[in-house]
Amino acid sequence: MLQKSQAGAQAGAADRADHAQATSHVLRVEGLGKVFDGRSAVKDLSFSLQAGRILGLLGPNGAGKTTTIRMLTTVLEPTSGAFWIDGLASSRPDAIRRRMGVLPESLGFPKKITGLELMVYYGQLYGFDQRKARQNGLALLEAVKLRPRAHSLIGSYSRGMRQRLGIARALIHDPVVIFLDEPTLGLDPRGQKELLALIRSIARERMIGVVFCSHDLPEVSTLCDDVVILREGTVVAAGTVGEIVRKSRGNVVRIRVPAQAAQEAAQLFHGISGVMLVSPAEESGWIEARPADAPGDGEQDRLLGNRMLDVLIRAQIPVLGLQAEGGSLQDVFFELTDEEHADGYASVSVH
Amino acid sequence: MATLQSPSTDPPGRPRPAWRLVCQRELTDLWLGGRAIVLVILFSLLLAVMAFLLATNQEMSLMPPREMLFLTMQTTIGIGLFIGLLIGADSISGERERASLEALLLAPVSRRQIVAGKFLAAISPWPAALAVSAIFLAVLSPSSELFLQVLLLGGVLGTLLVVGYTAFAMVVSLWSSSNRTSLFVSLVVYLLFVIPTQFPGTAQTGFMGRLVKRINPIESVNQFLEKVIVNNRTFEEMWDWLAAPVILPLLTCALLFGFARSGLTLEGHPPKFLRFRWAQPAAAMLFCAALAQPVPPALAAGEADGQSGLSISVGTEYLEVKTGEEFDFTTTLRFDGEDELPVIILSMNIVNLEADGDPVDPEDWSPERSMVVEAPARGETSQQEWTIHPIFEGDYLIYIVAIPEVADEESTSRPIVTQGLHLSVVHEPHLNPGGVLPASLGVPGGLILALFAVLWLRRRSLRTQGT
Repeated sequence: MLQKSQAGAQAGAADRADHAQATSHVLRVEGLGKVFDGRSAVKDLSFSLQAGRILGLLGPNGAGKTTTIRMLTTVLEPTSGAFWIDGLASSRPDAIRRRMGVLPESLGFPKKITGLELMVYYGQLYGFDQRKARQNGLALLEAVKLRPRAHSLIGSYSRGMRQRLGIARALIHDPVVIFLDEPTLGLDPRGQKELLALIRSIARERMIGVVFCSHDLPEVSTLCDDVVILREGTVVAAGTVGEIVRKSRGNVVRIRVPAQAAQEAAQLFHGISGVMLVSPAEESGWIEARPADAPGDGEQDRLLGNRMLDVLIRAQIPVLGLQAEGGSLQDVFFELTDEEHADGYASVSVH
Repeated sequence: MATLQSPSTDPPGRPRPAWRLVCQRELTDLWLGGRAIVLVILFSLLLAVMAFLLATNQEMSLMPPREMLFLTMQTTIGIGLFIGLLIGADSISGERERASLEALLLAPVSRRQIVAGKFLAAISPWPAALAVSAIFLAVLSPSSELFLQVLLLGGVLGTLLVVGYTAFAMVVSLWSSSNRTSLFVSLVVYLLFVIPTQFPGTAQTGFMGRLVKRINPIESVNQFLEKVIVNNRTFEEMWDWLAAPVILPLLTCALLFGFARSGLTLEGHPPKFLRFRWAQPAAAMLFCAALAQPVPPALAAGEADGQSGLSISVGTEYLEVKTGEEFDFTTTLRFDGEDELPVIILSMNIVNLEADGDPVDPEDWSPERSMVVEAPARGETSQQEWTIHPIFEGDYLIYIVAIPEVADEESTSRPIVTQGLHLSVVHEPHLNPGGVLPASLGVPGGLILALFAVLWLRRRSLRTQGT
């Protein structure tokens, strides 16, 4: 049965890959907006997701992530704009629900039924007869490593097991897109690692588009292919993780030299092309520098520290300390979601 | 990590309708989860204590069997709809709070089907409560005809009320963002309907009092059942009391299923027309004002000049009957006076000759304790039919008083009395007090055993599947 199911999975994934190539995106969002009592929670949101890719939806609390997820999962009706899942417009919520799976932030499983009973129940709600729903449920529980606990009451499951059960439930009807809202919240490091591996395998093996919501930025940069960052309901950055990271203007390098050599070192740094000193040499010997140009210089920005160290070594000035900031998704996130600095990012591309 | 298996995408067989699936799921939660069965066990305990007291306590046993049955059915309906209200109020807002609603709303099923499944599950404790009640009714009932009559009337009217109030509680639950709000609003409304039924008679006899009585479905059902079961009134006489209990479920079910699509949302907000803050207090004030209406003065009395020449007689002087046996007798009113009399009030009285003349409430013994008749024309007579349904053994004297209606508030009239009808009531044992105790202990005990049996079977089934 599992072999047949495996063959089915491969065939389904291949079909989906062809279809995805033909239609390009499994999820397309255009100008989506939501107004609650005169207050805009989400404004003019546009992005897209291809089959087999994982998109991280980021933003501080209140940025509009949950509202966005709820609109995309048809729980909330958008005030403006539209979206398409597998080519189906948001004006057809019933049809869309058959193409997507959701792992909500709060799982709210009934505790007095077993994992398999839950799978059978949802399988039947999605239109399978009882036998088929049970067959699919068992296959998915096997895949998320819950088969040995299939007949245990959900009340006895650990947090990690419930998250895996939630993912299995989201996949019961073979969706093309799944939305995962904070799936690793409350899991221990091993549980997080296993769950991320599971999510990756879902996306890659079944060519499913995954929308991944999380506050754990290292986790997002490890897992996701694409990122959308929201602030106050507006997209402030969107693109691949690499593109976003390269847009950081906070690539600051702080080097400490002996105080008596600080002025000499600062002079040397001035001589390096593309380097701008952020702060003059201090009595403590710390010198701070960053790329002179606006964000977007890519590889050259990341080599700034190397070039600074190089001139110091050539001049035989001892290096007492080195700190590098910026260059990570986390740094970009903080910059973009900080009101004081975010306005300078008007040129960030949104596609 | 194991390779991910895809669910089979073979064409599905015959899927079950969503309302049935939701209903099954809810029934499992309610009954295997223990909430419903615990409520029914508590109900059976209450009924057991009540039935035992009714049947065995010396003071309480003065109550006629028909009234015992009425009280038992009244309690059954009251608690049955309370259980429905509790479950209905929790059914949607509770899921919101437990965060289990979102996954259900994401499934491709119609909101009406979800609501229908939940509604059917929410009223499921009512048949169980009625079945428990039927056991006690059977034990307390003096005859199988009466038992069937009470069970049928109570079952039908109780079902109307349970459906109506459960649907109402679900409407509140649909529109409530928190479970606490939903339960609070539902219980307050329940009490608003129950409390007036306990008000003193003066609060219910004015025009507004009578109106409130008529529009209150619980009071209407109480009135109907009491008059038909206890006072031997016929269905034809009482059918107009059924308007409120019939309209209530129609109205609340229409609201529930009408708003199911737009109201079954993740947040749960009342529709715009209910968001005015003044609406609820205004409704409550209106309701209280209605109850507080003073009793209007009696309708203008007719003229009653002259009282002489009026006589009344009873057709039978002595009768021997068995308890529960119904019999009729007639009175004859004759007028030989000079002046016309407009209206005569006839009032029946029953005195217990063995208990130092203790009066008996004729309402318990007869569908009609009084009647108002036109006075016969001069020199003519008129006859009145009276029905008696004796309840207790003993010697009684029945007599009828004829009262010419007074002309105005300050005048009076002279009542006249028939000779007494001496009634000997011989005891025929119907009630089986000895049977009450086994039922009182057995029913709740059986239900508790059933609960443990269900839990044990469930655990065993899980263990078997697990291995």
